[in-house]
Amino acid sequence: MSVERELSGDGKTLTIILDDKFDFSKVQEFRDAYAEDIESVSTVIVDLGHTEYMDSSALGMLLNMQKSLKEQVSDFQIVNSRPAVAKILQISRFDKKFTIK
Amino acid sequence: MRILIVDDEPVNRFLLVHLLQENGFTDCHEAESGEEGLRLAEKLVPDIVLLDVVMPGMSGHDVAPKLKALQRDTYLPIIFITAMDDEENLVQCLSVGGDDFVGKPFNKTILAAKLKAHARTRMLSKRAYQQNRELLFHQQHIEQEHAIVEHIFSNVLTINRSLAKFLDSQLAPASNFNGDMLLIERSPGAGLYVLLGDFTGHGLASAIGAIPVSRAFQTMSEKGIPVAEMAETLNKTLLDFLPDGMFFAAAIIEIGEDGCTLDIWNGGLPHLILFDINGNIKKRFESAHMALGILEPDEFESDTEHYEADLGDRLLGYTDGVIELCNEAGEMLTEEGLEAWISDMDEINTSQLMQKVEQFRADGEQDDDISMFIYAAQPLGLKKQIAALPSASFRLSIEVTHQNFGSANPVGEIIDLISGHAAFYGLRSNIFTVLSELYNNALEHGILKLDSQLKDSAEGFMAYFAQRETRIANLQQGWIRLNVTYDADAAQLVFTIKESGEGFDFDTWVSDADSEQCFGRGIALVKELTDSFVYLEQGTKAVATFSLVPHQ
Repeated sequence: MSVERELSGDGKTLTIILDDKFDFSKVQEFRDAYAEDIESVSTVIVDLGHTEYMDSSALGMLLNMQKSLKEQVSDFQIVNSRPAVAKILQISRFDKKFTIK
Repeated sequence: MRILIVDDEPVNRFLLVHLLQENGFTDCHEAESGEEGLRLAEKLVPDIVLLDVVMPGMSGHDVAPKLKALQRDTYLPIIFITAMDDEENLVQCLSVGGDDFVGKPFNKTILAAKLKAHARTRMLSKRAYQQNRELLFHQQHIEQEHAIVEHIFSNVLTINRSLAKFLDSQLAPASNFNGDMLLIERSPGAGLYVLLGDFTGHGLASAIGAIPVSRAFQTMSEKGIPVAEMAETLNKTLLDFLPDGMFFAAAIIEIGEDGCTLDIWNGGLPHLILFDINGNIKKRFESAHMALGILEPDEFESDTEHYEADLGDRLLGYTDGVIELCNEAGEMLTEEGLEAWISDMDEINTSQLMQKVEQFRADGEQDDDISMFIYAAQPLGLKKQIAALPSASFRLSIEVTHQNFGSANPVGEIIDLISGHAAFYGLRSNIFTVLSELYNNALEHGILKLDSQLKDSAEGFMAYFAQRETRIANLQQGWIRLNVTYDADAAQLVFTIKESGEGFDFDTWVSDADSEQCFGRGIALVKELTDSFVYLEQGTKAVATFSLVPHQ
């Protein structure tokens, strides 16, 4: 699977790891990654360390995830962005909605 | 065993040859005088010489030193034939180089015993001589190989001089050839790449892997390949190249344009230490992976660690030779020991750390290579450079028609095609974003007439994409043409996306970046990422231009 999910031992942190391309072709897989087993999740980390290619549909997916989960999740993080991806997040001012590390 | 008999008396020669043959020495040669003896000795290279003392012309005493001189490198036993009655004569025989005597008349048993004893010594001497020659040959061979490797190393592994100022470093090989290597290159994005690594073992065998690594590192640095991908490529190269049981522990570091952004992959090296100017440790970059050259590509993990350092922070990298150093009591330095030094030192640089190392080691042996570097986070002041641009203009077109909208991936194909050239490689992520936006807008809005408002709710978002698929499946007509034009004179890449539909009112799609909407960010991104961008022909045609900076 090209989108991977990892749930921490205590079930509180969900990490979603993308592969090199984060665009509309990942819509379903990305949605599936936070669809189940999220009862105790309070932190979501999206790891973009592998992601080289991203477009605005990925931004839409991230915001959509935030909308779906905002009742229970207090901390949304985006980590390990490569420079080109970091620039897209910066242009789109995603730092206002996500903790970017 | 070849024996030369030098005697002017035919009867003595006859007797001796007879006696020798009885004892198994069949390769006997006779000379009637000292002069003939020397001539034959030169030609035949005898193993033992039986030499008469008193002869007309050259005496045995004159001939002996000349015989010895003929075989300087081996031991040639010379046995004098003498009456054994004159003490002074015997002494002189020994002083001119004789090794033994046989008396006249000849005693069969003693003569045979003496010949056998000298034959043994002669054999030993010849064998030793042969072995010496072989050793000498090997030694010369090795010296020659070392000279070749040194030559390669001085040409391949020299640290890029213009960048050396950014690194404070020390390399102390345990033997001539270093299994450790430290490389620094600039990135096209005005940052730096640093590689510190340690091949298993040390010396020539371990250093040989350094050549493909340094070449690959240089090439990848020129292209600006991300650290993770570099690690993957080096792993694969070394897996193919290194013999089993040999591998390369390494850290690959990318330093951003600002001199502070760090991206680090560490496989098998001791943790890199980031400390502030006062020696307070801020961060450790632990080895999170196995060394390079071990794992198959599908098992390999390329995750990197990302960190924003502050100006003035120092990053210390070192090989395990440092922390595995032992003092006289046999205690290892360890990572804790090294960190304790750092927090105690006033001014921390590698030459001072090396002094500490020397003090710690005292008289202990250096078993492994010791290498370290310190990078101080600083404004780099490097110019962005991109690889030489292609000198010829080119044009590339792809047309996707309605039957293929579901399966075609024209954006990916264009990226694959043009990112093969180093000059465009660095732009590939931006080009992807822009093309993907424009292509998807053309398809979703121009041709499929999808309504982005739908994307605003969580359910609608998914419904939107489901609708996209259905509408594509039901399409009866439509096409999108993507054109890439590279203009060598203007140093520009121009992307044109034209669709067969009615276009769309793009102005209404642009939303404020601060908005909560899940759509409409695309156009804003395209505007930011390109040098110029317009919609033409009632919104059916988008033209986006990237200006390329020519190579300085």
